[in-house]
Amino acid sequence: MDKLEKILMPMADVLTKNRVLIAIRDGFLISTPLLIVGSVFLLIANFPIPGWDAAVSSVLGAGWTDWFKAVSRASFNCTGLLTALGTGYAMAREFKADKIQGAAVALVSYFILMPTIHTAVRDSGEVVEDAIFAGLDFDYIGPNGIFMALICATLGVWLFAFAYKKGWTIKMPKGVPPAVADSFAALVPSALVMGVAFLVRIVFSFTEFGYFQDFVVAILQTPLEGLGDTLGANALYSFMCTFFWFFGINGPAVCNSVFFIGNVLTAKQLIAFEAGEALPYIFTNPFSNFFCNFGGGGSTLSLVILMVTVCKSERIKQLGKLSIVPGFFGINEPIIFGLPVVLNPVIAIPFILVPMMNLILSYFATLWGIIPRTTGVNLPWTTPIGFSGWLATGSWRASVWQIFLLVLGLMIYYPFIRTLDKKYLAEEAAAANESSEEDDISFDDLDLDNL
Amino acid sequence: MKVMMIFDQTQAGLGGKESPDLPMGGKAMGIGSCEMFTRFLDQQGGKVIATLYCGDGTFLAEPELNAKKFAAMAKKFNPDVVICGPCFNYANYGIMAAKSAEAISELTNIPAFAIMSQECEKAIETYKDKVTILKMPKKGGIGLNESLSAMCEYAKMLVDKKDTAEFLEKHAY
Repeated sequence: MDKLEKILMPMADVLTKNRVLIAIRDGFLISTPLLIVGSVFLLIANFPIPGWDAAVSSVLGAGWTDWFKAVSRASFNCTGLLTALGTGYAMAREFKADKIQGAAVALVSYFILMPTIHTAVRDSGEVVEDAIFAGLDFDYIGPNGIFMALICATLGVWLFAFAYKKGWTIKMPKGVPPAVADSFAALVPSALVMGVAFLVRIVFSFTEFGYFQDFVVAILQTPLEGLGDTLGANALYSFMCTFFWFFGINGPAVCNSVFFIGNVLTAKQLIAFEAGEALPYIFTNPFSNFFCNFGGGGSTLSLVILMVTVCKSERIKQLGKLSIVPGFFGINEPIIFGLPVVLNPVIAIPFILVPMMNLILSYFATLWGIIPRTTGVNLPWTTPIGFSGWLATGSWRASVWQIFLLVLGLMIYYPFIRTLDKKYLAEEAAAANESSEEDDISFDDLDLDNL
Repeated sequence: MKVMMIFDQTQAGLGGKESPDLPMGGKAMGIGSCEMFTRFLDQQGGKVIATLYCGDGTFLAEPELNAKKFAAMAKKFNPDVVICGPCFNYANYGIMAAKSAEAISELTNIPAFAIMSQECEKAIETYKDKVTILKMPKKGGIGLNESLSAMCEYAKMLVDKKDTAEFLEKHAY
């Protein structure tokens, strides 16, 4: 174990301290709340109750869903754009450049590299002769643009910060207001980034791809999306997330900096759902949040239920009672440190096994149609079990499936928590025997004058 | 080596951020997160004879009095050393631990120290010149095993009255 730790620690160190990876991870965090709110609007427009649309239409009139869809479209159909902005900002923060200028330059270089003049096409697919218009295309600023956004934000802002540090800036005389001086300071670095984007655009116009973004989608994004939707990749991710915890390391914080493909799949799933098309993916974020882990990482809700119901150690029972309500909302910090899970080899085994079992079973359950695919509706991860399954898929069968997995989790956790329970009981008995007094320490009649 | 621990509600296994109002109490044994470092303590021939705990909110309502209470209880149990922590990046717990370690060192003959991550800036800034504060990672950070091992090693060095200057150079703030 110690040897393994020596191999894993430097790896985790690189993943958590590398500034580019931090920026990528945090860049997604910036758009997360917007995607959740957008999802809620879409969920209202498509609430999973039969007759919902007709019932609301009778009050608000036909076409009411368009109001809600306008909000959802503005969030998740713009995930690429939001990623360029968020990651650009985080990159500038990590590399100590002007943050808002960094975000802006990432966005502008992103726009330079995509088609912005389009030919008009009729609904039938027929091209309208001579009808050309300019604008941003949701196909390019949406989830299909996420990888390109990451490239523009990381390389663009890195170059921007590099030029800043080299002092390639126009310096204003003293007395010029700071806002004016800052905007001039950003002039040369911005010109450099935009100039490079300009050249890249020209180079790609001579290739079969036509645009850099189409190149990125073809050679990078599409293959990675395929890989990201496989059981193998997700099983490895699930394993690493829980395994790192065993050494006290926040696994998701390490892994999310490289395994962010779930964000792309989720956004694309939502767009397909909104359009009423077949749902393309299994491994979306709601899938991993709501069918793999109940009660937080390690699927510890099962553990907490056992702590309350079958454990006999006073400590474990008490901690279980305190943790059960937070547990239903996916919060397990009290037991991570209080039981503890961290550095505890006995609990490590089910802590790794249960999420893995949930992942594999839910994958096959989805594949075989026992539960429907998640719609991509991105609910907060604190949504309680039962509700989350129903809202994420639109089917009550998914709720039943969640409860089924919770019960299976009880069975796996049982022998391990009983082992720990017996150990703690023995310790409690030993402590009671050793001290002549109660093992509870009371501060009530403490004499402070003795000090 | 008889060790006494001072924990907040989370490390004691008596709650989380939602229960800062946990009253002061204790158990005549190792509880909660002690399980994380039992093996390192074993290596040093140490055993937790008592764990004192207090919600961070309860403590900070009357820090002077509560630190004194911890000191009085330490005197009563007379351990060889008192460890205030590990606090991770729980900032209020950091203050409680450093303040308690200071009171115990001043008011009793029992050596005491605190251990927390660099995020507990206020506690480190205020107390690092008054009490020993060892380094450790934040929650979920890298190097927890190493720092807990160092914590137990340092406790043993204090009890054996060894020269700690070189050790502290590397492991303390």
